[in-house]
Amino acid sequence: MSEVIDFKIRWGMVIDLDKCTGCGACMVACQAENNLAPQVDASNKLRALNWLTVYRLSNGKSFPDHEVAYLPRPCMQCGKPSCVSVCPVVATDKREEGGIVSQIPPRCIGCRYCMASCPYHARYFNWYDPKWPGDLDRTLTPDVSTRPRGVVEKCSFCHHRWMHAKDAAILKGEDPMDLPDGAYITACTEACPNGAITFGDLNNPKHKVYELRQSPHAFRLLERLGTEPQVYYLSKREWVRRQGDNYLEHEATGDNKKV
Amino acid sequence: MEERNHTSAPETAKKCCCCGWGAFLVGLVVALILGWAVLPALMQKELKQPVAFNHVLHVDEQGMDCRQCHFAGPDGQFSGVPTTASCAECHSEAIGNTPEEIRFVQDYVQTGREIRSEWLVYLKQPDNVFFSHSVHSVERCSTCHTEYAENPGALCKVCHIDMSKVTTPPVYSENRLSGYPKGTMLMWDCERCHANPNHLSPATNANNACFVCHK
Amino acid sequence: MNRRGFLKFAAGGTVGLVASPIIWNTLYDAVYWSQNWGWIPRVPRGDSTYMRTISKLCPSGTGIRVRLVDGQPVRALSDPDNPLSRGALTALAAAETQLMVSPARLKEPLRRTPDGALVAISWEEAEKLLREKLAEAGGSTACISGDPTSTVNELLSSLVESRGSADFYFMPDDEQAALAAWSAMGGMGRLGYDVDNSDFILAIGANMLESWGTVARNRRNFSAGRPAGQEARVKFAYAGPVQNNTAAGADWWLPCRDGMEMELALGIAHLLIKAGHAVPSAGLDDFKALAGEYTPEKVAALTGVDAGRLAEVAKALAGAEKPLVLVGSALGAGGGAGAVMAGIAVNMLLGRVGAEGGLVNLPFPTPVVTGASDYRTVVNRNLIAWSQSVASGETEAPRVLLIYDANPLYSLPSDSGMEEVFTRSGFKVAMASFLSESCARCDLVLPAAMGLERFDDCYTPYGSGEVSWCISHPLVKPFYNSRPMGEVLISLAKELGVETGVKDMPGLLYKKAYSLGANFRKMVESGAVFQKKASGAFSVPVYNTDAIRTALTLKKEAAPLSLAPVVVLGMGTAQTGIPPFATKIITEYQLAGHSSVAQMNAATADKLGVRKGARVTVGNGKVKVPALVDIFEGVLPDAVALSAGLGHTAFDEFSRNKGSNIMTLTSITREPGTGLPVWSSAGVSVDKA
Repeated sequence: MSEVIDFKIRWGMVIDLDKCTGCGACMVACQAENNLAPQVDASNKLRALNWLTVYRLSNGKSFPDHEVAYLPRPCMQCGKPSCVSVCPVVATDKREEGGIVSQIPPRCIGCRYCMASCPYHARYFNWYDPKWPGDLDRTLTPDVSTRPRGVVEKCSFCHHRWMHAKDAAILKGEDPMDLPDGAYITACTEACPNGAITFGDLNNPKHKVYELRQSPHAFRLLERLGTEPQVYYLSKREWVRRQGDNYLEHEATGDNKKV
Repeated sequence: MEERNHTSAPETAKKCCCCGWGAFLVGLVVALILGWAVLPALMQKELKQPVAFNHVLHVDEQGMDCRQCHFAGPDGQFSGVPTTASCAECHSEAIGNTPEEIRFVQDYVQTGREIRSEWLVYLKQPDNVFFSHSVHSVERCSTCHTEYAENPGALCKVCHIDMSKVTTPPVYSENRLSGYPKGTMLMWDCERCHANPNHLSPATNANNACFVCHK
Repeated sequence: MNRRGFLKFAAGGTVGLVASPIIWNTLYDAVYWSQNWGWIPRVPRGDSTYMRTISKLCPSGTGIRVRLVDGQPVRALSDPDNPLSRGALTALAAAETQLMVSPARLKEPLRRTPDGALVAISWEEAEKLLREKLAEAGGSTACISGDPTSTVNELLSSLVESRGSADFYFMPDDEQAALAAWSAMGGMGRLGYDVDNSDFILAIGANMLESWGTVARNRRNFSAGRPAGQEARVKFAYAGPVQNNTAAGADWWLPCRDGMEMELALGIAHLLIKAGHAVPSAGLDDFKALAGEYTPEKVAALTGVDAGRLAEVAKALAGAEKPLVLVGSALGAGGGAGAVMAGIAVNMLLGRVGAEGGLVNLPFPTPVVTGASDYRTVVNRNLIAWSQSVASGETEAPRVLLIYDANPLYSLPSDSGMEEVFTRSGFKVAMASFLSESCARCDLVLPAAMGLERFDDCYTPYGSGEVSWCISHPLVKPFYNSRPMGEVLISLAKELGVETGVKDMPGLLYKKAYSLGANFRKMVESGAVFQKKASGAFSVPVYNTDAIRTALTLKKEAAPLSLAPVVVLGMGTAQTGIPPFATKIITEYQLAGHSSVAQMNAATADKLGVRKGARVTVGNGKVKVPALVDIFEGVLPDAVALSAGLGHTAFDEFSRNKGSNIMTLTSITREPGTGLPVWSSAGVSVDKA
């Protein structure tokens, strides 16, 4: 398999699961920002198209010891993306500084190999032509093109926002490749009322995420697959961290690992 | 059977050979005319700009600078075509007496109709293309291509048609099938720079990754 | 030409075509064409501008930054410069621009024809009709408003009341209970909660991180108090029947039966008094005697909250520097005043009344419209008492009924009498932006301009800890044929000869600004917000134990199963329906296909003999709604959790045909003493379908 692709800048998220309460503001913001068509009936979750999905986690215990947590899942922008190596038409790729895995729907032939290979279910297939009933298409943003039926799409970390942030930096005479913390954030990060999502350059010590990802409470999803995701999660709760991977009973996570 | 064939063949074959090449040539010429002139013309729809804007009048006679109308906004977004409001800064009423100006003032300035949304962009790109003018700036390109420092307009002309010497806007011809104008650049046009490894230098950082140009 | 000649001609043609650019160019064009199907919408091109305002759809007036592309609002973004919401955005406010153009949006004035259909008419006809009907009706006019924060209420109040009616009502909400409780305990103004400065919040019944009170602000405080990766500075505890969104964020969840908030608060009081926390005030001894009866064991039996966990929370509460107890109802209405009184008493025991980060006393707004009743009077009116009395025939139904930004037919229990009010009222007029269930039953529907298209305001929403005032101003011209309702009402009042003292909405808001000491112009130009700290001076609160005792006599149904409502703001309000994007945030444990999902824990399901995925009906003896069983251990035993906000029959395809309205399962009892309508603690039964 291919090697881990590394860059000077690695855009990433640290999502504090102890702060997420599952309201869905991130999902609404994501749909509006990235021109995802609304769906009249989205109760069939296999056919509902989202770039970001919030899952409900349970500690598996019975009442009254039950605990609940919510886990927002964007594209992990893996360092070693399983989707890229299987794409027969190079519609998805990871070779740009920043490490965002690109997806170019007009190039996609809809074979869905990438969906099968993605261990995070972060990729979605357009089962239907997108429809904005009535005048809803008036609220499309200029930032992301609309996608037809038959292609795969996924979260881009609001890549257009990075392009705009770089433009703004160039205009101000600053270095576009060394943006200050917060100059580029995704729509979901911006929308989260609980401040659960922190976004920044994982390699830049001046960015908050640099410190957060090294927290003893930090973990990544299915870390042991070696996909090197650029999305980290935080939780002080052992049971939440355990849901990030398939752990054996004697294995511990996070800060308990050192004991 | 063999004999019959043998007796009749030479005569007709000779005749056909002559007439056949003629038919081939006629077919060839007709197809070439169709393929080079008639069909391409049929594929194109010719449209006129909503206002016959006279660049010569504004640039040469009034001494306006290109950047008075074509500039990058504070958020880095390039304002390619001026708005009715910015035209109205001078043309709140007709200044001269050309019928085109009077029509513009009447139809756009006085009614608030937006000229920018009607102006036909010769280089219109599809929705899935992202292009930032502020990244492709004279300052950045001049790091290596020194010729642009003295003549910034030359950089614009790498992609855009030179409008400064034009009194009436050229005809806008749009492809009936794709809906895009003749001038729309294809991907390899962008790749002339983007696929050139020299452009990976820190000054430009222009690699050829998909998301650099696509959205 | 013979056959061979033709073939040669064709061959020549082929060579010619291959040698000309048409084929290759057409292939290129076909590639373009295939990437830009004509039936997929194009994205706009144009400059982005950003303007600051508030979301009038969000009940607490969340601050938003609207992105406009070529003058068209496309996104509602969070506004970090808004001092109230401080960059927090709710899932509903995020959908503001989409709702402006949603299919459910009312586009034209509608009038009911004799054959029962609603047909479009012109504004001139609509205004004339309304004027005539109001003139005819005189004092027999009633009005229900669903937006208690807007100054437009004063216009409605003036219009209705100056002509001899006292029937101007707000839709029931938690503030009515809070006001009754606060007055009973000696408070003079409105009850406020200084959530910003507290370091321990016990929310009893109040879904404070999702739908209750100033939710965006609450959540900003939650966020600031719990920086990522660091120790929490602010602790939260939540008591309610379901592990809802607030419980997910809280440090403690006290699984408490819906409608048992008062008993739980008394249980906390019991433990606090036992631990020596009892700040004296008039009536303390009597209250001690009452709280003494609420031993953890008794409270556990009544509420379902485990005695150990209750003690743990009580201890943490007492140990906090600036604790705050706030009491609300799961549905944001129908909770009764007794629970709030008990909550105030707990705050009093801890000395938190008038203290920083505690309960605060907020002044009532002074009306600026001539002839309008003051806020206190209107909040104190009891809509349900009126509607039930109309239903029973004691009170005559009004000849004209005005419904302003409310959907009473959907959001009130079925025995509220609202159905009869609608049947018996002479002429029903709806002023709304979306075609709600109530609009669909009206005789005249006036399409209201939305928050981004009109001048309006949001004055100190319930749950605030200080006086705040924000205004919305038109960023765009009204879409479709909608009009700002304030302006329509002002001109209507003028024509009916009602003196309002204002000539237009900006004038009204200017007057309001003047009365508050705010700078109206600055607020419009820069989106500034007016804030004023609560004044500390008010009479010393008293432990009004008698009032609590009276409220405790409320008969609660002893049903084998109780309903546990779950409210998610992202699914919209009764007035908005389900916003287009929200169908994707509705989860598989809220809605399955067209059916609501009934969540219950495994023990309850065993008892009922049902499994995950079983089709059941949830009923209350009168009404039965279909549901699909899901097992969720975060539900109290013997409780069934159902999502609110489903079961719409009006609006658009995004709202209709999705689950059932849980309000049909609730029924009203009157709280002894205050007479307030209570519909929490609904008993239900579950049967296999």
